Amino acid sequence: MRREDAASFSRRKLTDVDKRRLTYIALAAAGVLTLTGFLLAFFVATPAQTIATLSTGGGRLFGGVFVSHPIDFGQKIFYFHVPVAITSFAVFFFTAYFGARFLITRDPAYDVKARIAAEVTLIFVLLTMLTGDLWTRWAWGVWWVWEPRLTTYFILTLLVVAYFVLRASVDDDERRAVYAAVFGIIAFIDAPISFAITRLVPSELHPVVIGVPGGLDGTQLAAFLIAMFGMLAFGFVIYQLRWREERVKERIEALKSALED
Amino acid sequence: MDAVTKEIFALVSPSLPYVIGVYAALWAGLMIYVGVTLSRLGRLERQLVLVEDALAKQGRTS
Repeated sequence: MRREDAASFSRRKLTDVDKRRLTYIALAAAGVLTLTGFLLAFFVATPAQTIATLSTGGGRLFGGVFVSHPIDFGQKIFYFHVPVAITSFAVFFFTAYFGARFLITRDPAYDVKARIAAEVTLIFVLLTMLTGDLWTRWAWGVWWVWEPRLTTYFILTLLVVAYFVLRASVDDDERRAVYAAVFGIIAFIDAPISFAITRLVPSELHPVVIGVPGGLDGTQLAAFLIAMFGMLAFGFVIYQLRWREERVKERIEALKSALED
Repeated sequence: MDAVTKEIFALVSPSLPYVIGVYAALWAGLMIYVGVTLSRLGRLERQLVLVEDALAKQGRTS
């Protein structure tokens, strides 16, 4: 092996080792941050009032005693429902990004990266739907409401599922990659719409609570941000593990072919 | 338990299954997925070492 090749090989190996280390550090950070965020949400963050209290401006009678600020315990779901939803948007961006990179370069690695990002998106989309549905049932007493945020997010869920249906329905590798890349880019358009819809079309059921007067206070924001960074780290970890798995699989196949030759 | 605490508990406890359900589903789902992926990756990496060894032996014998 020439000296330049050896140096290049050593650099590449070092990068792989670094990435692996980074993945495990991110996994530990994800666990610690999400756990801390959730504990803060329950034990430190200021409890929220019920929507009924906020809208009437008054309290309720409990056992003949007037309680001015009844606690909305179900609101605690916010601290993990919103982080998983934001992570789903963030990871889905990479499906569109790698799709665009594939269309520019025609490098199959970008198609694999886009597919893996879509897989991770699907996990977080399903978690968002599950946690959201439980919250909807508790807070509003129904399993589903056709309000703007829920509707646009439901469309996003269908688009992510359709991405995999599309991939499964095309046999030719090149065509499948092109169709999936274009579809991924178009599908991603729904993500910023769904994210911003509560600001564009104000809804009582999905009030804007970040960066507005009367929104999250310091303790609530801290719990939310910590949980959110933890979830983003989870997204990164799952993506990295799946990407490494695909690369190892590819290398095994290549070596098996070399063995057979 | 006095009447006020009793009523507050009665109000809060119906939400507990939902909150606990969310925790359990979220953590279990994520952890199981990460665990399964890690174990699958470990198996593949062991397989890779075996194939690399086999290739190295073939190179020595040929």
